[in-house]
Amino acid sequence: MSKRNSNADRFRKQAIAADLEEPVDEARNLAVKLGLEPYPVKYWIIDYDEMNELIAYGGFQSRYPHWRWGMQYDKQQKQGQYGGGKAFEIVNNDNPAHAFLQESNTLADQKAVITHVEAHSDFFAKNEWFGLFTSGRADEDQVNAAAMLERHARAIDEYMSDPEIDRAEVEKWIDHCLSLEDNIDQHQVFSRRLDVDGPVDDLDDDIAEKLDELGLSDEVKGEVFDEEWLEKLQQSDEAVTFPEEPQKDILSFVREHGKQFDDEAGRAAEMEEWQRDILDMMRAEAYYFAAQKMTKVMNEGWAAYWESTMMTDEGFAGDDEFMNYADHMAKVLASGGLNPYSLGMELWEYVENRTNRRQVLEQLLRVEGVSWRNLMDVVDFEAVLETLEPPEAIASITPETLDRLEEVPEEWVDREALEQAQNGEIDVETYPWKVLTTEGLARRHYSLVKRQHRGFLTRVSQNDLEQIGRYLFDDARYETVEEALADVDFSAGWDRMYDIRESHNDVTFLDEFLTTEFITENNYFTYEHSQATGQFHVASDAAEDVKKKLLLQFTNFGKPTIAVYDGNYNNANELLLGHQYNGVMLDLGQARETLKRIFELWGRPVNLLTIVKDVDEHDIEVAKRRNREPEPEERGKLIRYDGETVTIDDVPWEEVEHLSADDVDYDTKPDEWLA
Amino acid sequence: MGLRDDLERFREVGEQRREDLADFIQYGDLAGGRGSIQIPVKIVSLPEFEYDQRDKGGVGQGEDGTPQPGQPVGQPQPQPGDGDGEDGEPGEEGGEHEYYEMDPEEFAEELDEELGLDLDPKGKTVVEEKEGPFTDMTRTGPNSTLDFERMFKEGLKRKLAMDFDEEFLKELCKVEGIEPREVFEWARGESLPVSMAWVEEAYSNVPDEERGTWASIEEVEANVERESVQQKIRREGIKHVPFRREDERYRHPEIIEEKEKNVVVVNIRDVSGSMREKKRELVERTFTPLDWYLQGKYDNAEFVYIAHDADAWEVERDDFFGIRSGGGTKISSAYELANELLEEYPWSDWNRYVFAAGDSENSSNDTGERVIPMMEQIDANLHAYVETQPSGNAINATHAEELERHFGTDAEDVAVAYVNSKEDVTDAIYEILSTESDDNE
Repeated sequence: MSKRNSNADRFRKQAIAADLEEPVDEARNLAVKLGLEPYPVKYWIIDYDEMNELIAYGGFQSRYPHWRWGMQYDKQQKQGQYGGGKAFEIVNNDNPAHAFLQESNTLADQKAVITHVEAHSDFFAKNEWFGLFTSGRADEDQVNAAAMLERHARAIDEYMSDPEIDRAEVEKWIDHCLSLEDNIDQHQVFSRRLDVDGPVDDLDDDIAEKLDELGLSDEVKGEVFDEEWLEKLQQSDEAVTFPEEPQKDILSFVREHGKQFDDEAGRAAEMEEWQRDILDMMRAEAYYFAAQKMTKVMNEGWAAYWESTMMTDEGFAGDDEFMNYADHMAKVLASGGLNPYSLGMELWEYVENRTNRRQVLEQLLRVEGVSWRNLMDVVDFEAVLETLEPPEAIASITPETLDRLEEVPEEWVDREALEQAQNGEIDVETYPWKVLTTEGLARRHYSLVKRQHRGFLTRVSQNDLEQIGRYLFDDARYETVEEALADVDFSAGWDRMYDIRESHNDVTFLDEFLTTEFITENNYFTYEHSQATGQFHVASDAAEDVKKKLLLQFTNFGKPTIAVYDGNYNNANELLLGHQYNGVMLDLGQARETLKRIFELWGRPVNLLTIVKDVDEHDIEVAKRRNREPEPEERGKLIRYDGETVTIDDVPWEEVEHLSADDVDYDTKPDEWLA
Repeated sequence: MGLRDDLERFREVGEQRREDLADFIQYGDLAGGRGSIQIPVKIVSLPEFEYDQRDKGGVGQGEDGTPQPGQPVGQPQPQPGDGDGEDGEPGEEGGEHEYYEMDPEEFAEELDEELGLDLDPKGKTVVEEKEGPFTDMTRTGPNSTLDFERMFKEGLKRKLAMDFDEEFLKELCKVEGIEPREVFEWARGESLPVSMAWVEEAYSNVPDEERGTWASIEEVEANVERESVQQKIRREGIKHVPFRREDERYRHPEIIEEKEKNVVVVNIRDVSGSMREKKRELVERTFTPLDWYLQGKYDNAEFVYIAHDADAWEVERDDFFGIRSGGGTKISSAYELANELLEEYPWSDWNRYVFAAGDSENSSNDTGERVIPMMEQIDANLHAYVETQPSGNAINATHAEELERHFGTDAEDVAVAYVNSKEDVTDAIYEILSTESDDNE
């Protein structure tokens, strides 16, 4: 908006850019040394206003015309103006990735942002959920989100300026699509056009007519394609319900089979070209952003972890910048609630420590005479930690100590770099990591001996120990503890982290690594609403309950799962959706309104089967008197919108039974709750 | 296309156009105390399939230790999975906020700008002598107050006065058989500010082979173009403006009397049985920004809250908007109490605002016989009455009307405003704040 392209502006930015060239190059070198494989990153220096604009646009420079960017811009501006909200960085999932640095950041901030961005870029490139959008082909042609969004922006702008098309209609159509933006199948590989199974359109239209065209003699027709055959064909066709399997990607289903509702004619009509086109674009964008939504905790944690490794452990922040950086980091990690940065980072550290601990324990259990029963008693863990400390030669590297690197294992040292360093071609003082390999760096930053993690090794539960010990073969391989520890794989923690960042998403990540320890240490609890008191109460502080509730918030973007069950419902081309009930009911008000939007995209009546929890007024009264929760009853409902009114009707349980699931339960209310 | 356009369209959504979205706008509630203000931000959320918030429950975090099961919790905390993921780009901090915070001063500025107000707070007591703008000049002072612009101008003047066409004089020195003294005298004749020493040096610097280049001074005048100082400065730029110590001037602040701007705001609210939730809310929506505004305008703002039905009593702000009572209504009771409480804030030292709100119902004759005389008696910058009647006027609700009849619609220190829906709030605020008279110091 405020494009100040004055020369002074440009020169100032260029000057800042020049100062950042070295940090950018070296951050990349360091990231690669640490085993990351980021997409190339293009950095841009922008001013405060430009940063606000980018944030409003979801991190990109051009988006289709829509009021919601205006809304975000408004919010962003006001927050910045009055709340002092400071945007530190934006990075786009793209190849190359684009990252934006605000010119007013201090150098320490910029370095923090750059290291953070490099890790995000690695995550974009390596995480398989991001691969779904790109079909796993992460080359530059495949991933060019900025270009895609720009294309969409231009196309929609053209539709809006087309005198034949009402701009307000385009905007409304976009809104209808956006109401369904989370109703995609985010676990599937994205393809522009989804092959949706449905009736084969043209074949049945007028078979009789087509047969006529074949010019067959009546005789032949009479024999082969007799009336009976035709009738049968058409009948079976009418009875067909599609899709065969419930389909979660509602956006694609309406794209393939939907119509628009023609207000004037009062009936469904084929969608206009622009309507289908916009549906396609909105769906593509929804898929593009899905990966980000699905991996928020992991991705932020990942970036925070490596940022911290680079900035703090590798001293990427200069000494004078470090306090500034530590301040920034503390602020980011401390902002309240379950913030994805601190949650993610702690989980990553946990992954690393747990893997490393398992490694060490396995080695110790292979020492003759050591078993999971006596391990804690017979092993001197202080001494173990002592042994695990990285050797001095790689723990602190200065130009004077380079010769000592001769004593450490070959695979830790980057020979070539060491030679250059010895010739004074590498600034070892500033970049000591250059003379080490990834393995060497893993050794240098071995997690179990870090001050904040020193207790982790012995904090293993007897149960875990037994788990490890019981299934261990070859349990008397070593004679002494020292021998055993000599074979520890110090890269194990990082290797495991690389693997997990490739295959997990937030749901699987939290499910696997959110521990009881983490939950109790942070005082997490669940709360539930009480019908009897009309407010929320603390329900449980048990780790499994907290985890269950958390997973509910991350599964399927924290939204209920809705799928298309029939595109020819009532044999009248109506749409039937089903809510796959998991024990938590829908917000019925929202559901009604959403159905109205879907009607616009389907053109014919839309139906939704769901299960609600009914509580009898009388039961509530009784419960209030007795100070306990009333027992709700689950019932089937059909919500229907026919273009004019919404109706909600009871349906027999048999009709919704297939939607109910008995094996999940997100309710964490204790039996004796309010008593 | 572009953000400006998006912003404009967003402002119109649900208002000038796209009524289909009107139901999806949340404005949030007004909140915030002294020192900071939370302004509700307009948020439009498109409908989506979502869980029932109550049935969903959530995860909370205890501050010190985990709370006991059964303990009630407040409003659900924002959850990590919540919110639109798309604007949750990596790196963006914080979640969905329905507010933005600002301080009252900024709020007042915004409102002034938005509504074109120019309420100028009047200082009452002289509290201190304060430094005014740096307009006086002295010859010494701290560096930061050095008036550089003045110094530069003086320097430039001096340069203009002292500079001369050196090249021309150097050419003169090349005239056949000329002496330095002759050059000097010629220059003096032309009133060039040159010294004898300079001429002598220039003369001695002329290489031998160039001596006698010109036959006479006249020949030089005819062949060498002279350049005025202005031309020279334009050509060379100002390389050396001679800055002299004697040109230095330091700006010095004027001493001015600072009058502290004190304000006391009396908020009066009818809490009788007829003031139902909707009316109560409208009062809050109108009064709160008024309070903020005045708080932002004045150095020192005090607030007095009076609730009344048939009787009046003073309350704390926290309770003010929440109270409901069952009794009848007698508005004059509140003004009597206000009069009493205002004694602590003498009119000579304090700006006073008395705002009352209700549904215009009053006991018979109370308005004419008691309220109006009280309003005339209580000195104030402004008296205002805000009528809230969301469901149209009740027959016996005539308080506002009577006030208007008595004081007239363009009275200078009495404002009457009608707020029947949220949309009227801004107009009412404008009506009230633009009413204040200018001459009641």
